[in-house]
Amino acid sequence: MARAIHWERNEDPVGIWEHRGKVVLAGAGHSKNTDRRWDGVSMDRTLGAYVVEAARAAMDDAGISPEDVDGIVTSAGGQPAHMSLGSQWGPLRPFFDAPYDSEDGLTYVTAEWIQKQMNLPNVQYMNSHGETVWNLIGLAAQVVGDGRCEVCLVPYPNGNIEGRYHQNPSLEARGGAQWSNPWGWGLSGQGFVFDQYARKYGTNHERMAPFVVQEHANGLLWPYSYYAQHEPGPFTTEDYLNGRWIARDLSIFDCDRPVQAGACYIVTTAERAKDMKQQPVYILDHTESAFTPRSLVQTLDDTESWTDIQAKRSYAGSGLRPEDIDVFAPYDGFAVFTQYFLEAFGWRGVKRGEAHDFCADDITLKGPNPINSGGGNMGTGRMRTVFITDPMEQLQGRAGDRQVDIKAEVAVTIGVLPSNAAALAFSTSPD
Amino acid sequence: MAILLSFDIDGTLELGDPPGGVTIDMVRKAIDLGFIVGSCSDRPLSSQRRMWASLDIEPDFVASKHQLGLVRAQFDDADAYYHMGDRDTDESAAKENDFGFWWHTEAELEPWLELVNSD
Repeated sequence: MARAIHWERNEDPVGIWEHRGKVVLAGAGHSKNTDRRWDGVSMDRTLGAYVVEAARAAMDDAGISPEDVDGIVTSAGGQPAHMSLGSQWGPLRPFFDAPYDSEDGLTYVTAEWIQKQMNLPNVQYMNSHGETVWNLIGLAAQVVGDGRCEVCLVPYPNGNIEGRYHQNPSLEARGGAQWSNPWGWGLSGQGFVFDQYARKYGTNHERMAPFVVQEHANGLLWPYSYYAQHEPGPFTTEDYLNGRWIARDLSIFDCDRPVQAGACYIVTTAERAKDMKQQPVYILDHTESAFTPRSLVQTLDDTESWTDIQAKRSYAGSGLRPEDIDVFAPYDGFAVFTQYFLEAFGWRGVKRGEAHDFCADDITLKGPNPINSGGGNMGTGRMRTVFITDPMEQLQGRAGDRQVDIKAEVAVTIGVLPSNAAALAFSTSPD
Repeated sequence: MAILLSFDIDGTLELGDPPGGVTIDMVRKAIDLGFIVGSCSDRPLSSQRRMWASLDIEPDFVASKHQLGLVRAQFDDADAYYHMGDRDTDESAAKENDFGFWWHTEAELEPWLELVNSD
């Protein structure tokens, strides 16, 4: 059962969002660099510095000044409960002696830190509990729609201090984890669900290749992609098929690469956006969901049930139908997630078990089904922000070489996990 | 005596991410001395090939980290096999495939030169 959490629209029937089309994305900005890690020295390349850089870029993009900003909604660590996207462990802590031994600005970035660093004089609302970027945008949209602020700075930090993937140094496991973690059950759970999927629908891991390869190709066209900046060569089917298993059936190339970068969005009212620089992207809806497995570990049945609920809730909240969606951006932090979202939303008529056939067809940017035109995390690194920026730019017609040839008037994006996600619906029109 | 040297890249070679202490000059020297040299890394194979091409080096092999066994099979007439890297996954791969193993910090000292000198 979904857990009800404060502002979230997570109880059915959600109904059409009361602020549908009245709140918009008006600007986006990214730190110029996307790094693998912080070098521990350069104060202009900390997570905080990158967030400030991104915030300034977003304000420039929207054509607003620091005086215009009256709200900051952020996700301090990029994850729920101030958790950081990157490693939380390490021998280097604290980085500085007291009183400068705060992690704020290094492993996480609060709204208060941003307001102070950027000297934003008119901020009256601050919130650092945005969780993942989809929830973050949903929270900001709700805050603006409810009138708590009008011009909201929405930064999303992506920290990765040590350049490592999730490390779990814990020597204990509590609750249900006591039955699974001692046996090495962690990321392997995603491989398990995929294996169930492959058995049920008669497919296999190799058939993921067209999707992952295309995502890498798309990501190379996004200037903030880690790969565009650091590994600009093409990723091939041979590369994918030779990836090391992390846990059968989950290879290293199904796992996103953690990076260090900052992004920021400007969320405001449709009315106020009329005076801003960019064509507004109207937010039609946000819906959230969180589930727990029916048994000790997540199964395919759980996954399909959860994503079905998410899709149904999103359609109910936005009033859209599958055939209304032009640009579709389902999360791929583990590449094996995407198929569950795709099949649940039924984009392009894809039904359960058909995702691999769909991706084996034409999913190129210039074809009829350019899923994840921004490249997703597989093609850009674990920033997640391409799932907001790319749909936004596609709808504004300013995606450059990534611009899809199909009509781009309505977009839907969802992430982060099948078990815990938010869905957002965007449009070029408020109606 | 044919000795195979398998280099991990990130954290081991100087142009890795993060940079390691094994320099490209050390690698070139090993090639000049007749070692069988290549890379075995979690980087995509195409990325490994691009790295070597950018250095104007033609490696004897490139492989993913879990494919050391394939490398051994490809060069089954070698007299000794060594892998070097900075992660426990490197050490495990080496042990599983009966390779000698040097940690990246050990590799910086070019221990393979002693193998030549003792030949």
